Amino acid sequence: MSTREQNERIELLQGTLDLLILRTLQRGPMHGHAIAKAIEFRSDEVLQVEQGSLYPALHRLIKRRWISAEEGTSENNRRAKFYALTAKGKRQLTVETGKWDKLARAIAQILRPGEQEEA
Amino acid sequence: MTRRKRMLADLEQDIRDHLARETQDNIDRGMSPENARSAALRKFGNVARIKEETWEVWSLVWLEQLLQDVRFGIRTLLRTPGLTVAAVMAIALGIGINVGIFSVLNGLALRLLPLPRAHELVSVNQIFHFQGRGDRSIHNDSSWFSYSEYLDYRDHNHVFDGLVAYEPFVEATLRGVDARQVLGTAASCNYFSVLIEHPAYGRGFVESDCAGRGSNAVAVLSDDLWRGKFAADPALVGKKIILNQTAYTVIGIARPGFTGTEPIPSAFWVPITMQQALEPGRDRLSDDNMSWLAMLGRIRPGVTMQEVRADLGLIAGRRDHGHTGPKRTTSLAIHAATFFSSPEQRSTLIPIASVICAAFALVLLIACANVANLLLARDSTRQKEIALRLSMGAGRWRLVRQLLTESLLLSLAGGTVGSVIAFWSFIRITELVTSHLPKGFPPLAVNVGPNLQVLAFALALSLFTGIAFGLLPALRSSRPDLNTAIKGDGTQFGAGKKGGRLLLNTLVGSQVAVCMTLLLAAGLLLRGLYQAQTIDPGFEIKGVATMFMDLGRQGYDRTRATEFMRQFRDRIQDLPGVTAVAQAECAPLSHDFSGSQFTIPGRTGTFPFEYNHISPAYFALLGIPIVRGRNFRPGEAHDAQGIIVTESTARRMWSGQDPLGKALREESGREYFVIGVAKDAQVAHLGRSDTNYLYFPAGPEEDSRSYVMVRYSIRFMDVAKSIREVAQSIDPNVSVDVSRLEDYLEIWRAPSRIVAALSGALGALALLLCSIGVYGMVSYSIGRSVREIGIRMALGADGAKVMRHLLWQAMRPVLIGGIVGVVLSAADSGVLSSMMFGLGTHDPIAFISVPIFLLGVAFVATFIPGRRALQVDPMVALRCD
Repeated sequence: MSTREQNERIELLQGTLDLLILRTLQRGPMHGHAIAKAIEFRSDEVLQVEQGSLYPALHRLIKRRWISAEEGTSENNRRAKFYALTAKGKRQLTVETGKWDKLARAIAQILRPGEQEEA
Repeated sequence: MTRRKRMLADLEQDIRDHLARETQDNIDRGMSPENARSAALRKFGNVARIKEETWEVWSLVWLEQLLQDVRFGIRTLLRTPGLTVAAVMAIALGIGINVGIFSVLNGLALRLLPLPRAHELVSVNQIFHFQGRGDRSIHNDSSWFSYSEYLDYRDHNHVFDGLVAYEPFVEATLRGVDARQVLGTAASCNYFSVLIEHPAYGRGFVESDCAGRGSNAVAVLSDDLWRGKFAADPALVGKKIILNQTAYTVIGIARPGFTGTEPIPSAFWVPITMQQALEPGRDRLSDDNMSWLAMLGRIRPGVTMQEVRADLGLIAGRRDHGHTGPKRTTSLAIHAATFFSSPEQRSTLIPIASVICAAFALVLLIACANVANLLLARDSTRQKEIALRLSMGAGRWRLVRQLLTESLLLSLAGGTVGSVIAFWSFIRITELVTSHLPKGFPPLAVNVGPNLQVLAFALALSLFTGIAFGLLPALRSSRPDLNTAIKGDGTQFGAGKKGGRLLLNTLVGSQVAVCMTLLLAAGLLLRGLYQAQTIDPGFEIKGVATMFMDLGRQGYDRTRATEFMRQFRDRIQDLPGVTAVAQAECAPLSHDFSGSQFTIPGRTGTFPFEYNHISPAYFALLGIPIVRGRNFRPGEAHDAQGIIVTESTARRMWSGQDPLGKALREESGREYFVIGVAKDAQVAHLGRSDTNYLYFPAGPEEDSRSYVMVRYSIRFMDVAKSIREVAQSIDPNVSVDVSRLEDYLEIWRAPSRIVAALSGALGALALLLCSIGVYGMVSYSIGRSVREIGIRMALGADGAKVMRHLLWQAMRPVLIGGIVGVVLSAADSGVLSSMMFGLGTHDPIAFISVPIFLLGVAFVATFIPGRRALQVDPMVALRCD
């Protein structure tokens, strides 16, 4: 039973995580650790993403050809794999962002009356 | 290297980099290196799971898992080769015979006709429902059509590209060097074009061939007849042949392999308008109330079956409306055209087929129970492994899937082996059976080769079997009691793990029950066969030659027939080695019956009688004594009033009175008087003497169609040869087929012999599987209680007592199963005895000997492993795990 609940949470996280990765990569190619740090930092450390779950997500995005992976050298001259947004990925980001906004607005509209009563 | 592989290869490096950076970050924040490392790992999560999840992104998960399961399954199965081979063989046997019998049924009744675009062909049949007493003449099949009905359907339907009608199984004598009988077809003239069947030489019929009745004597011959009788002479087309005294011009030779649309091959085809010439004296074309034509329609492209039914239904409704006489409704049976597609043929085929299929399915059931037993036994030795995997967090469904994959592997392997053997052997078995059918059985053109349907059946059966025997053990063993299983203490003897024992016992019990049912059926059939072989038919069947003389069919009129028969009888009477000659309308056991209703003056109701017209020599020749009154005298013929009845008939009709002089009245009002009483003999139906039977004197009427019987004292071949020579010397165009009267008995016995052989073989298979099952179950459960037995023996238990305990444990499910089986058999033997002649419903010998035999086998299968367990040294037993 507990497995199922977990699955549902991951399901929810997945889509969101994908969007966050795409958004993060908009600034330029990054390696995995930097992506994790960036997400953490930019969400004021609210989103405690289990760092490992980044990798299945990255591979999912590569498989869909929304991002690409290249060998590169990091700031301190270490070899690392850099992930970059593809043209398809950029288009997808616009679409996904639009979808997210819509969803957020819709949920906010539903939730707002409740909040007002409480307030 | 594929993208997927490259990505996965880099993944580990990626994760290592990630962890290194995080650790470095943590150290920069002032943690000790060890703490920094473990904090990084904590933050990252379960590395193995992350890898697994990333892997899943790239893989078709189910496929990979399946392949994994298959690989693991194969490894597991190969680790226990003995068990695997045993299981595969058991399944191969079960599936093989079922696939085999299915391919026979498929060839008989499911395969589409071997014709181009056969899926468009439908057979059309009609069933009349009369209010009150309906009246309809039937030739061959009650659901067929009259000629006028055919024309109506042909001309007024809107759904067929063409509708064909034909009369199959027409006997004809082909005049030639050795005159002989062949079976042919009278067909409508669109026959070849609608069936899209182009003759190999010459042409098929065209409409003008059917322009007038009896006006166009043309014929198409089968390839077989052309090769067998005319030495494949290509110049035959255009020449004339003589069938039943009428000359036909050969216009075509059919393609090799085309034998018509019935299971009995047709040797020739003539236009339907030639019917009366082909069957002299019978005008079927003009009889609007006779069922004699089978119909096949080719559906117009785009027309659905519903539309066909609706359209033809309108015609049927209109015909019912216009029908004079008792109110009638017609229902049409329209199906894809196959062999055996008329409702009447199906109604004979289906019950027989279902009994046979049920019997075969039961063997498969035993095989399944057997393999399930083996798997349960094996899985319980794997309890530790399974428990370990479960406690490590493997999902139960994943485990069940793994175990099911194993059983499916087994069943597919078994199914493949079994099907291959079945395809190979059943083609040969069918050939063997059809070529060894007794003389008088028509040849059959049945294709039992595998086709898509058979392969699909084999696959479905294999999958079903795999799940059937695998699911129960898989569900059971994936739910072990983790504690005890891991501790590795698997000793249960009588106590503990009740569920497991119950399951094993149920499996064994049901095997025994099914096996008992099959064996009893086989036993009953074998008893039936024995009775059939040893039955005394009440007359002397040996040393009698018979020949069926249908001179009317061979084109003789009454006077010529009488003249021929007079000469024929006189001259064979004088042949050396011939001691007696008699003539009869029906020869004993010839499957030729005549029957009618009679009334008895002064009594109400009618009585059904079977009868025969015989010459006076009949009784003496067959050794049937006249027990009262007198025999017929020479010169007494159809106008005579005297009749002879059988003893049992006299007893039934006039019990306690003297039957001589008693009267019987025909429906026409004509009266007959009993002049003699003959001893009972099973002349009409073997194994039955409860029918009312009477004899009339034969007259010149019989000369056109009758049997001549000859008692001989020399070799049959010699007497047959000289009889044929006599006939040829009187008229070279007459075909005479001389056979032994004993051969007729063979025809009666053949079905029971075939069925008995079949069921005997099935029973033997069932017994083999069942005893392996019992043996396996007992050795397994005793093997697991060796330690307990050892303790008992070490403590000084009585060996015999322990043995009794073991035997009782093992035999209890066998006994229960056996009793269930006997009860089931008592219920189903009624079905069997209605199908087989001479079979007692509750034959005591079969019902006593079979259970004793089966229990004996089970006892031996129990005793052997039991004794082995007792002989184990207690010290060894105690140490053994």
